[in-house]
Amino acid sequence: MADDPVTHDPTTDNPVTHDRVPALEVREINKYYGGVHALADVSFRAYAGEIVGLVGDNGAGKSTLIKVISGAHEPDAGEIYVDGVRHRWRSPQDAIEAGIETLYQDSGLAPDLTIGSNIFLGREKMRRGLLGRLGFVDQRAMEREALDDLKRVGISVPLSKRTVAELSGGQRQAVAIGRAISWARKVILLDEPTNNIGARQAIEVLDVMRSARAQGLAVIFISHTLPHVLDVTDRIVVMRLGRVVRDAPTTDFTAENLLSTITGLDELRPPSTSPA
Amino acid sequence: MAVLANQQMVLVVVLIALVAFFWSRNHLFISSSEIGNLLTDFSGLALLSVGQMYVIVSGGIDLSVGSTVGVSGILGAFVMQDMLNAHYPQVEVLLVGTVICAAVGAAVGAINALMITKARLAPFVATLVMLSAGAGLSLVFTGGAPVGLDSTAIIFSASGVGPFSYPAIIIIVMVVILGFYLHASRYGRYTFAIGSNSFAARAAGINVQRHLASIYVLSGTLAGLTGMFFYLRLGSGAPTSGQDMELTAIAAVVIGGTSLFGGSGRMSGTVLGAFVLTVVTDGLIFINIQPTWNQVVVGAFIFFAAALQALRLSSGGLARLLRSGPITEEVSGGR
Amino acid sequence: MLHPRRFTTRRVLRGLAAASAVASTSFVALGTMSSNASASKPITIAFSVGDTGDPFFQTMYLGAAAEATKLHVNLNFQGNPALYSPATQLPYLDQILAEKPSALVVAPTDTKALESVVGEFVARKIPVLNVDSGDANQSNITSWITGNNIQGGAQAAIGLAKAMGYKKSGYYNVVVGVSSLTTSTDAARLKGFKTEIAKKYPKMHILDVFQSESVSATSTSDFNDVLSSHPGKPGTKGGVSGIFAIDGTNATGAAAALAGHNLVGKVKLIGYDAYATNVQQLYNAKTNPHGAFTALIAQQPYLEGQLAVKYAVEAVRHQTKGIPKLDTLPNILLTGNTPKATLAKYTYQAS
Repeated sequence: MADDPVTHDPTTDNPVTHDRVPALEVREINKYYGGVHALADVSFRAYAGEIVGLVGDNGAGKSTLIKVISGAHEPDAGEIYVDGVRHRWRSPQDAIEAGIETLYQDSGLAPDLTIGSNIFLGREKMRRGLLGRLGFVDQRAMEREALDDLKRVGISVPLSKRTVAELSGGQRQAVAIGRAISWARKVILLDEPTNNIGARQAIEVLDVMRSARAQGLAVIFISHTLPHVLDVTDRIVVMRLGRVVRDAPTTDFTAENLLSTITGLDELRPPSTSPA
Repeated sequence: MAVLANQQMVLVVVLIALVAFFWSRNHLFISSSEIGNLLTDFSGLALLSVGQMYVIVSGGIDLSVGSTVGVSGILGAFVMQDMLNAHYPQVEVLLVGTVICAAVGAAVGAINALMITKARLAPFVATLVMLSAGAGLSLVFTGGAPVGLDSTAIIFSASGVGPFSYPAIIIIVMVVILGFYLHASRYGRYTFAIGSNSFAARAAGINVQRHLASIYVLSGTLAGLTGMFFYLRLGSGAPTSGQDMELTAIAAVVIGGTSLFGGSGRMSGTVLGAFVLTVVTDGLIFINIQPTWNQVVVGAFIFFAAALQALRLSSGGLARLLRSGPITEEVSGGR
Repeated sequence: MLHPRRFTTRRVLRGLAAASAVASTSFVALGTMSSNASASKPITIAFSVGDTGDPFFQTMYLGAAAEATKLHVNLNFQGNPALYSPATQLPYLDQILAEKPSALVVAPTDTKALESVVGEFVARKIPVLNVDSGDANQSNITSWITGNNIQGGAQAAIGLAKAMGYKKSGYYNVVVGVSSLTTSTDAARLKGFKTEIAKKYPKMHILDVFQSESVSATSTSDFNDVLSSHPGKPGTKGGVSGIFAIDGTNATGAAAALAGHNLVGKVKLIGYDAYATNVQQLYNAKTNPHGAFTALIAQQPYLEGQLAVKYAVEAVRHQTKGIPKLDTLPNILLTGNTPKATLAKYTYQAS
């Protein structure tokens, strides 16, 4: 694994030490749902070749943040930068075009479509010549390439002609991650990718994330499973009640203090364990 | 089980059984004349069923198509009648009429689309509005009487190659193209994706609202062309043409094995469904059984189609359960 | 004279206006075809029909208007321009009631639904007459003028037998198309038809009675099937000899089926009602070889309108002696050989 010396430096929590532009940066994001302040001045950065853990209790605002970054929801205020360039998403399509892929917690795939069709959904390979111009797709090429793409990111499924509905939960998740990674050019957002799958598949998913990092992607990993987060991430951003309460290298955290940061118990104690 | 799982095969068997039954009661059922009738009646239903198929696959429903047939046929007939009175050549009249009917259908579809994508009405409600408004406008425009008197149109619609009338040939070609288009084009792929999981479709960058809008316009246009077809058959635009046909079209789609929840189905099933319904309706009349029985038989078909679907779903679920262990093993992380 | 329906702005506007009239029932004045009603204390006959867009009622209006002019009374003729339904007729009747006419002539769109409003007229001592259709409760109705549907059905049987060249040695399959067997006029016409056949024509066989439910496409599909299942010559057991199309949708459907099977003039078709489009299609070997109808049964809406106004005025003037409680008018059989003047006289005319 070609570790990037900069991003793996334990001091990466301080962005000033980076001489590079972050692959993704959000500044002062605010989002309201009716009277609820779902996101309050949320800012953080993710660099290429880095896995950032995004953790927090239910209702902390993680999924909302993901939807804002992926273009599914529009923020009420705040800025999004990709490679230092400011973007405004009018639709998920804009985020996709800017190189951001998202794996949603659930319902990221169309269950009635085949694996190949899902991988290529929205980016179909067209037939050559007249048929292609008339809008016909090259299904065979897509099925073939889908298998290759999945293999490349470390996932092998038996038959790409099978519909997603016919797959097990773990297989679906593998396909969804494979889809996101194979298309991502800069940033990949993974919302609870290890949920609802077995322990063995979860480890494989973590491996897939590492290979994505090795390919130079900025990986943002949202999860409730703290051992996974501690295991795979380089840096952890903790959210509580719509705010970022902690942004530090993973090495700064233990299972215990991470949990207390998430729940807010750390604020009730003297700040002995957590610097900054 | 394998045969049961394939609804198209079941329908083919049912179709053969039906034809054999009607033939045994009256051998003239397999005559050029009656086959022509069947193809013509099938043509009247086919485009509506195909349009309905696109809509249902996308997860919606279009109840307005029957009324659209009436409205478009009438407005087309008004124009064609004026052109005939002004002694335009017949070919020109029919071409202009076809364009008008298609345009009126597209306009109704566009109104449906606006109500669904902009006003965010459920497709059932939006198209119910147009079902009602369209049927009312048809009567308002005509006072209930048919419009026009065009015997040349009737003769054109009855002539053709063997049992295939010219309009039937055109419609069958359209059905084949639209069937391939649904299953092999990007447009069709998006239609399935939206019906299967519209969130996933949107996340994949598909403009879901625009796609849905285009589907209702397509369905409306096909209904408009069906309006022209009925004009050709009757030589006039009748306000009641197409009445209740939205339900027959939906029945054809359901009998063809398509889920009303969207996302799945085969056009070949829908086409077979439409043909089975046509054969039942015409066959019962042919062998002199009260046509009122038709509705009962159609109900039975829908029931069996739904039962088959449920069976397939549960057997599929069972199969998945049985093999979920070993297959999961095949998912392996890369080394 | 003949009135081909045209796509004109006026027509569409009228349609849209009608649509809004349906929505807002207070908008009653739109469908009105009223002669001057502003004189000080003349007799005003209110006339309420189901559908003023139907040439049948338009012809009735012409008869009523002519009689009103002759008797120097005002005529207030009202009806929804398109929809034949009690829901749309009721608001017109309420409006008429408020205007306190001298008498009311009404063609009820439902035999029962309008009973209470009719009762209010009676309570205010306004004579009420029925024309065409009748109220179920006739006790308060001064007179009911109507076409005789049973006689019309019988006449169709006679006309069909004649057109088919009925002989005792022959075999004549006939098919009947009705809108619905639950429609009272359709049922009465069918009854007259059947009774006459049973009485006089043992070799006429009713092969089928189709119900179109007012859809011409259904009707033409039905007739196509029966023509295919009986491809033999007319006048033989294997063929269809005649069709009795009891309502307009079946007339359109049967005509289209005959044209499609190239059987126009060979299979005899008798239709009901002398709409201009139907009269145009009367078959005549020389002058109209493409005409689908062998004959038409014509009602007499003009005469119905005339008589209704005449009796209404007599009732207002308390000259009740000459008013029959029920006046059934005979129907007229029109064929392609009927003199033009007669055809013109009985064709329903748009006003």
